[in-house]
Amino acid sequence: MNRKHDALVLLLAGGVGSRLNILVQHRAKPAVPFGGLYRIIDFSLSNVMNSGLTKVGVLTQYKPLSLMEHIGTGEAWDFTGRSRGVKILPPHTGFKDSDWYKGTADAVRQNIDFLEVNPVDEVVLLSGDHIYHMDFHAMLEYHRYKKADVTVAMMVVPKSEIHQFGAGIIDAKNRIIEWEEKPKNPRTNLASMGIYVFNRRYLLDTLARNRDEVDFGMHILPRAIKNDNVFAYPFYGYWRDVGTIQAYWEANMDLLRPGSGITPEKWGIRSNVEAEERRADRAPARYGAEAVVKGSMISAGCIIKGTVINSVLAPGVVVEQGAVVKDSILFADCVVDAGASVDLAILDKRVHVGSGAVIGAGSNRHIPNRKKPTHLYTGITLIGKEAVLPRGVVVGRNCIINSQTHYDAYPENEVPDGESV
Amino acid sequence: MNTPSTLAMILAGSRVDELDVLTCYRPKSAVPFGGFCRVIDFALSNLMNSSIERIAILSQYRSFSLINHIGTGAAWDMIGRFRGISILPPFKDNMDSADWYLGSADAVYKNLDFIRYHRPEEILILSGDHIYNMDYRKMIAYHYEKKADLTIGCIQVPLEKAHRFGVAALDDEDGERGGRVLSYWEKPAEPQSRWASLTVLCFRPEVLCRALEENHGKNSYEFGRDIIPMLMEQNCRIYGYKHQGYWGYTRTVEEYWQSNMDLLGENPKIDMEKWGVRTNLAHRGICDVQPTLIGEKATVQNSMIYNGCVVEGEVRNSILFPGVHVGKGTVVEGSVLFFNNEIGENCSLNKVVADVNSVFGEGVRVGPSLGKDFGAVTARDGLNPREPGMAGAVTVIGWNNQIPACTVIGEGATIDPQLPAEQWKKCVAPGEVMR
Repeated sequence: MNRKHDALVLLLAGGVGSRLNILVQHRAKPAVPFGGLYRIIDFSLSNVMNSGLTKVGVLTQYKPLSLMEHIGTGEAWDFTGRSRGVKILPPHTGFKDSDWYKGTADAVRQNIDFLEVNPVDEVVLLSGDHIYHMDFHAMLEYHRYKKADVTVAMMVVPKSEIHQFGAGIIDAKNRIIEWEEKPKNPRTNLASMGIYVFNRRYLLDTLARNRDEVDFGMHILPRAIKNDNVFAYPFYGYWRDVGTIQAYWEANMDLLRPGSGITPEKWGIRSNVEAEERRADRAPARYGAEAVVKGSMISAGCIIKGTVINSVLAPGVVVEQGAVVKDSILFADCVVDAGASVDLAILDKRVHVGSGAVIGAGSNRHIPNRKKPTHLYTGITLIGKEAVLPRGVVVGRNCIINSQTHYDAYPENEVPDGESV
Repeated sequence: MNTPSTLAMILAGSRVDELDVLTCYRPKSAVPFGGFCRVIDFALSNLMNSSIERIAILSQYRSFSLINHIGTGAAWDMIGRFRGISILPPFKDNMDSADWYLGSADAVYKNLDFIRYHRPEEILILSGDHIYNMDYRKMIAYHYEKKADLTIGCIQVPLEKAHRFGVAALDDEDGERGGRVLSYWEKPAEPQSRWASLTVLCFRPEVLCRALEENHGKNSYEFGRDIIPMLMEQNCRIYGYKHQGYWGYTRTVEEYWQSNMDLLGENPKIDMEKWGVRTNLAHRGICDVQPTLIGEKATVQNSMIYNGCVVEGEVRNSILFPGVHVGKGTVVEGSVLFFNNEIGENCSLNKVVADVNSVFGEGVRVGPSLGKDFGAVTARDGLNPREPGMAGAVTVIGWNNQIPACTVIGEGATIDPQLPAEQWKKCVAPGEVMR
């Protein structure tokens, strides 16, 4: 028997995620590859599937193509069937609504007809850009038990990080009594995870009230907390907002450490392996007679003849003899030629590193990227999709090599720390 | 109308006694191969890559695993208006008391109505048991060029091995491409030709149907033994198409192991990526596993590993299917480990083929000893590992076994599936068969 939960899921997947820099040059943040085989949105979609929820709307806006292809019919997450389904909800022009989404609440408001045709009791609002494992069914039960109008999933984060989040102050019954959006001087360490359960009726009424309220965290929640029943649903476990290069890199590295708490396979995370290049449709990875592989995650279709240490390799990556890949994340079908070295770098798809080239040269990790000092400042170098690095070129730390750059982009044979090409 | 002209029929029913425990619960065509797929995937991928999309699979021995594997056929793009895979099991027939397929030719005979319904212009009969890469379109083109009644795919084998196959004497009409079949012998004691039949047969449908009807009621129903000799006798136009390349027939455990080893090395004889081998990723949920985790202290060399494994020990010259865990201090050498084998810590596996879902307790040793750390498996252990004729023999472990810690299994031993716990003993002698 399949117990019906009858909640509607709205997945907000429109964010630009600009701090991910060139990783979001060609794709929306939820579509950024993660952990070799996955895309970030797989975690949210799989959580929805594993919670037994079957009706999903995905609100897109920014570069939705690869995202739409990835979601496809939704079959990968069991969303196909008579009463099941996943709908892509792009911005649209219409009788009254004729603009891009101005914020999260505005995006939902513009799709109010989707809420109206699905007469359910609750709406689960998610963001598509977090890495976590959560049972929304349990959260819905909690919401019903508390007879809440709104329930906000919250977790404890270090006080130093709270300024990135919505922060809530709760009473003894977990009712949220005060709200601070991205506070500079926080009074609490309880952060919102951007996961909400709304009573559908309540949500419709709230959104109808004032069209200038375009954001949940900024406008809708503070007023709801003041006037209505808003509860915090405490979450304990692995949850990461991988919105920065540093956080993205760290979450990938967490995959390599057994005790870190991230276990996509055990969590039941699925991806759409049929989409784009049929990622799992590869022969097993081949390890050469002199290969050295330590503490790494290796996907099918890789060919490793050199050394790979503490790295995450997506399908089809080739590491030739004498090449060394260390502390890095390589997307699908990158090639690292003989004798090349890749250290502390993220390589987007199909990057070709010429023989003897060095990425991440030198030991000075403290010269931030000159153009984007807030994006790259911990030593990680970014290489864009399909970039070709000529033989013997030397690229320093905190560098950005734009996608599809070729031989003629390198007047000198060197890219110093913090520079971009 | 754009209907396909070729109907391919795959013979996938056989068990192959010599593969022993590997075919206890599945036909040979469904035996896992190459770290992620099944033997039949080679024939199916060849068909897909040859744009042949109307397929029938004749199966009768324990078909569950095969049916599960085929699924909708979407994995090989064989789903659509005129595309599809039909599995044709034996069926009750009021007119005839013999319900089971009595041989390869009988299996096709019993499905003549299926053939007539699809009205193909040529029928390709294939075996689902072989490892090879072939573009059938080239052979079909040759078949038409020669206006042949039957074209037989042939490959050169060493003369001393030819007695195991159907063997054809070919004239050199078309040099490298092929020629008229002058004589055909099925498993001849003294072969006079090195051209062995690949079990890739392209028939003119009228000729096939007539031959099957004429053969019906006799007491033998095999293509190689009965149908081809009969057509030879009738002076039909029979041609041999010369196939160049690798052919793995894997009829014994040793051959099966060797074919797997042919996947390894700098320039492997079997290159699944180049050959475009596809499998059904939904079977055993191999699309749901995460990439393989290689531990901090692990070593992996000259091996193939699909997604979903965790390796903390040493793996050399081996093939690991999804879900295999290799514990710390364990060495796996020259082995083929099917799905979801759990190898505990400090084990040693040498030249082992292990079927799915077995658990190897801590310190289990299988096969010839590996290096000083493990101590030699000697007479002291009640074993004689160097018994003449036993050296280098492959050890086979049937599925769903729980091997107690510190068990020593000599090389060439055979362990039946799901051995009851009380039957296990400290030492299994080399070559011993545990049923």
